[in-house]
Amino acid sequence: MCAGDISQRRFHYLIGPAINKVSSDARTVPRKFQVSIKSATSSSRFFVPPGFSGGLPVHFVHMTTPPQTQFNPLAGLAAAIFPGAGHLVLGRPKRAILACVGVMGLFLFGLLIGGINTIDSSQPYPSKIWFLGESLVGVPTLVVDQINQRSFKAYDLDSGALRNGYPNEHRVVENSRPVWKPLTQPQMDQGMGPPMVPALGRLHEIAMLSVVLGGMLNLIVFLDALMPSPERVLNKSKSKAGGA
Amino acid sequence: MVNSLTTLAYTPFIDALAVHEYWYLLIVPMSIFLAIGYKAIRCTHLKDYPREVTVFTVQVLGGLLLLAIAFTVVITLIIPMLAPMPS
Repeated sequence: MCAGDISQRRFHYLIGPAINKVSSDARTVPRKFQVSIKSATSSSRFFVPPGFSGGLPVHFVHMTTPPQTQFNPLAGLAAAIFPGAGHLVLGRPKRAILACVGVMGLFLFGLLIGGINTIDSSQPYPSKIWFLGESLVGVPTLVVDQINQRSFKAYDLDSGALRNGYPNEHRVVENSRPVWKPLTQPQMDQGMGPPMVPALGRLHEIAMLSVVLGGMLNLIVFLDALMPSPERVLNKSKSKAGGA
Repeated sequence: MVNSLTTLAYTPFIDALAVHEYWYLLIVPMSIFLAIGYKAIRCTHLKDYPREVTVFTVQVLGGLLLLAIAFTVVITLIIPMLAPMPS
């Protein structure tokens, strides 16, 4: 019924109601009644019956011709580096800016509520799951975590563990190694203390939730940049008047 | 390198914000940012974007409000009826 490697079932869908008029052998069909359909994996010729005016309906073509931008690893790489950069590579600057505002808004809002300690990769295991969700934001999370680990944490003198400071401690660098030293009462009266005030309890949870939400949103943005859906690609041409 | 700083001054994005009493209001900006990011990629036509972001935000906040009402009813009315506690 059809030439090439397209399956019988797919060909039926192509021709639709006019299937009764189709010859059983494509080789007997005159060339002028055939239409060439090229896709990423195959190039085939199909018979179009004489009563089938105007060629294939538009939605048939959409079903059978995969869009060219179905998989874009460069856009995926850009999206993994910074939120919204993937859509910038795809040539959709408006969507890139809006996605970046959404993801980075959640990220910065979480930091604003809970402080820099919201992102902490040195937590023990059950709490470390939060950091895995936060790391979905990409490079911003890794940068903030490095700043937190290098500039706001120090080692406990007794246990040697890397941790946050208590209100009666201050951070001192000894032999290029930051450690927590207890404060004297006069120093505490002067207002000295650890370099940051971490969030506790419910606020800490809400702050981490905001950053993790940003990370999960960025995962959706990343997948949309890596594999833009065919509908979206097809609508791009239609929506030129309405925006990118 | 930060060694020791005073704890009196609040530094945005470094120190935690003291909003313990208004924690439930924090869901509003979170919902707005979520809607902005989600609809940036799911909205078919960007001319409908502001309306879709507004609808999505209202849906999220409305859903959370209904959940809060439902949990309040269960905890304050239904559970005390099923398992009364001595006062």
